[in-house]
Amino acid sequence: MTEIIIKPYVPDFGAELERLRPVEYPHARAAYRMVLPGVIQTGADTVIAMSRKSSLWPMTFGLACCAIEMIGSFMSNHDLDRFGIVPWPSPRQSDVMVVSGTVTKKMAPAIKLLYEQMPNPKYVISMGACATNGGPYTEYDRVLQGVDKIIPVDVYVPGCPPRPESLLDGFMRLQEKIMEEKKMVG
Amino acid sequence: MTVWPDESVVPGHAGGFDTVDMTINIGPQHPATHGVFRMALTVDGEVVMDCEPYIGYLHRGLEKLSEANDYRQAMGFWDRTDYLAGMCCEGAYCMAVEKLAGIDVPERAEYIRVMMMELSRINSHFMFLGAFGADVGSFGTSFIYAWRERERIYDFFEEVSGDRMFPTYFRPGGVAFDLPENYESRIRWLISSIRQGIDDFDGLLTGNEIFVERCRNLAPMTVERAVNLGLSGPVLRATGLDWDVRKAEPYSIYDRFKFAIPVGVQGDVFDRYHVRISEMFQSTLIVEQCLDQITEGLVLNPNLPKNLRIEKGECYVRTEGTKGEYSVYALAKGGNKPYRMKLRSPSFCNLSALREMVIGSYVADAIIILGSLDIVLGEVDK
Amino acid sequence: MSEKTATGHSFKQVPNSALTEKLKRALTGIEVEYRETSTDVDLLVSPANFGRVVRELNERKELSFDYLRNIAGVDYVKEGLAAVYHFYSFKQGHAVQVTVPTPLGAPHVPSITSTFAAADWHEREAAEMVGLVFDGHPNPKNLLLEEDLRIHPLLKAHPLQKVEILQGIEENDPGFKF
Repeated sequence: MTEIIIKPYVPDFGAELERLRPVEYPHARAAYRMVLPGVIQTGADTVIAMSRKSSLWPMTFGLACCAIEMIGSFMSNHDLDRFGIVPWPSPRQSDVMVVSGTVTKKMAPAIKLLYEQMPNPKYVISMGACATNGGPYTEYDRVLQGVDKIIPVDVYVPGCPPRPESLLDGFMRLQEKIMEEKKMVG
Repeated sequence: MTVWPDESVVPGHAGGFDTVDMTINIGPQHPATHGVFRMALTVDGEVVMDCEPYIGYLHRGLEKLSEANDYRQAMGFWDRTDYLAGMCCEGAYCMAVEKLAGIDVPERAEYIRVMMMELSRINSHFMFLGAFGADVGSFGTSFIYAWRERERIYDFFEEVSGDRMFPTYFRPGGVAFDLPENYESRIRWLISSIRQGIDDFDGLLTGNEIFVERCRNLAPMTVERAVNLGLSGPVLRATGLDWDVRKAEPYSIYDRFKFAIPVGVQGDVFDRYHVRISEMFQSTLIVEQCLDQITEGLVLNPNLPKNLRIEKGECYVRTEGTKGEYSVYALAKGGNKPYRMKLRSPSFCNLSALREMVIGSYVADAIIILGSLDIVLGEVDK
Repeated sequence: MSEKTATGHSFKQVPNSALTEKLKRALTGIEVEYRETSTDVDLLVSPANFGRVVRELNERKELSFDYLRNIAGVDYVKEGLAAVYHFYSFKQGHAVQVTVPTPLGAPHVPSITSTFAAADWHEREAAEMVGLVFDGHPNPKNLLLEEDLRIHPLLKAHPLQKVEILQGIEENDPGFKF
């Protein structure tokens, strides 16, 4: 009787096998892999998240003093255009709402309406102390104690008013948040 | 409502194409309203028939919160009223508290205060030039020109006091600390840069045919009507009346400086722009004279009590704010908190005249007229 | 105050005694009390005489107050409300303050919008902030507060709102439950 030796079929790719084996990182899987010079292979969710974070268009929604620092961060000294952030006045075509300034109860319905007019995926940055929890004016009864009482907020930027560098930091944290939630895109 | 066509055109068929007036809401969020301001325009085609302004979207309770806080703590609310020029508002508030309590201010502190107030005035007028240029048509360019100089002034404020916009650097009785050692060279460089910035704006806007065509003869105003409406500041000076609180009722040490008051001819939008851009140059002259005349000495009154209590006092202190007459009516009845602090803000009074300026012009011109009034909503809504 | 702190500049916003003489001569028939604040001459006028006083201030040649600067509503809790007016004259260069105290429970003051168009918005704001009623105002709607709100925030009896306690640091915080 001849012996039948069953060997698993492993195609012999040689050097290719080593290159194509998925690389395991301890904390995350690989972001991308370069297949050929100039061609990368990555998951679709990574590409979608990278494109979302690299062209955030904020709706110009300056309410009060923080608006001046927000405009200052769009200008040449602390350029936000290099992040792909272009201020856009219409809510229907913007991604981020930067609530900069005190939210009063008279203004709150307008903010809610503007938030609902923005298409998904949308993010909210609450800039300054007044939008976070009412700020210095929190004890007056016509002031809404924080914009997160009416809309969900992603990033809070503290300061009164926050420096343009702080707002840049806020945008970068939002970009990190968008990259972290890439599996949750829908 | 227009009856169209009328009898002379098509006899017997008049009113075949009647129009109806439409109400457009230029709502609280709009790229061209300078803050959260809403107006409802009733238009017939493109011509504005009626305008109803709605304010109060930024009513944050300045006066109520001033009554609940100490004299020194309340200053934090006051410099956020005119948020484009924080130190001018601080100056007015500190002067009111000093008049109530009878506190003297050292001379060096007065010179420092005047320098900071004039630099804040230049700061605010640069914002006006940027925003007004954007309203008229040069959307990005004028903002970027304005912010180059504004960032330099903010950097200087940060060197002096630690914060860019709202330093709370002024205290009742002087200023908090002395200027840094290299202030003279810094300010002289800053003034030369500001003059260069003013020249840039002059070249960009003043001779520009589009700008002049849009702004000339738009919403002219007579002196009597302007006085009756309670206007002040560059809007009043553009009508031809050369009234400036710094010259008519001098406060601080403004009577030691030589500066001119630019006036306009017919009170239209172009005159208001021209008055403001000329005022900026006069402010640089004042700052230079301050540098030449400044004395050594203390910067804060050394005899201030630790807890500022004022038994009885009432005063109405007028200053020339950046937009007009910025005045504080203060009432003290014992304790360390004020009894009543009322802000008379120039933007509130100038804005009440918007309705009659706008009626009869086109919608696009209504935006320019609003921009020429140069309102800041922190003042309007207190 | 030591010598170093004396500035020696002239602060022109002080009460003008020449103005007091002119006012006394012009307002002889009307019951007016003359006081002085730190910066102005103050007239204490009752609401019934206020309309006549404003007419005299506006029309007399030696007074000619043509500029209304400010209207403030003040809440003196036990003595009622008061309306404080500030006028200025461009021709003569003098300023005056007029205080109109109203009795408790009857806060009515005649409106001066027919003489000074600037009074329109100032009166609306004073009305909604402390509850003064300006008789004869053409458009008595709320200005800074919402249209239908009938509260008066600047009254001393009106409270400030409590600051909300953040999650997690209040007692008996249940924590986040899934």
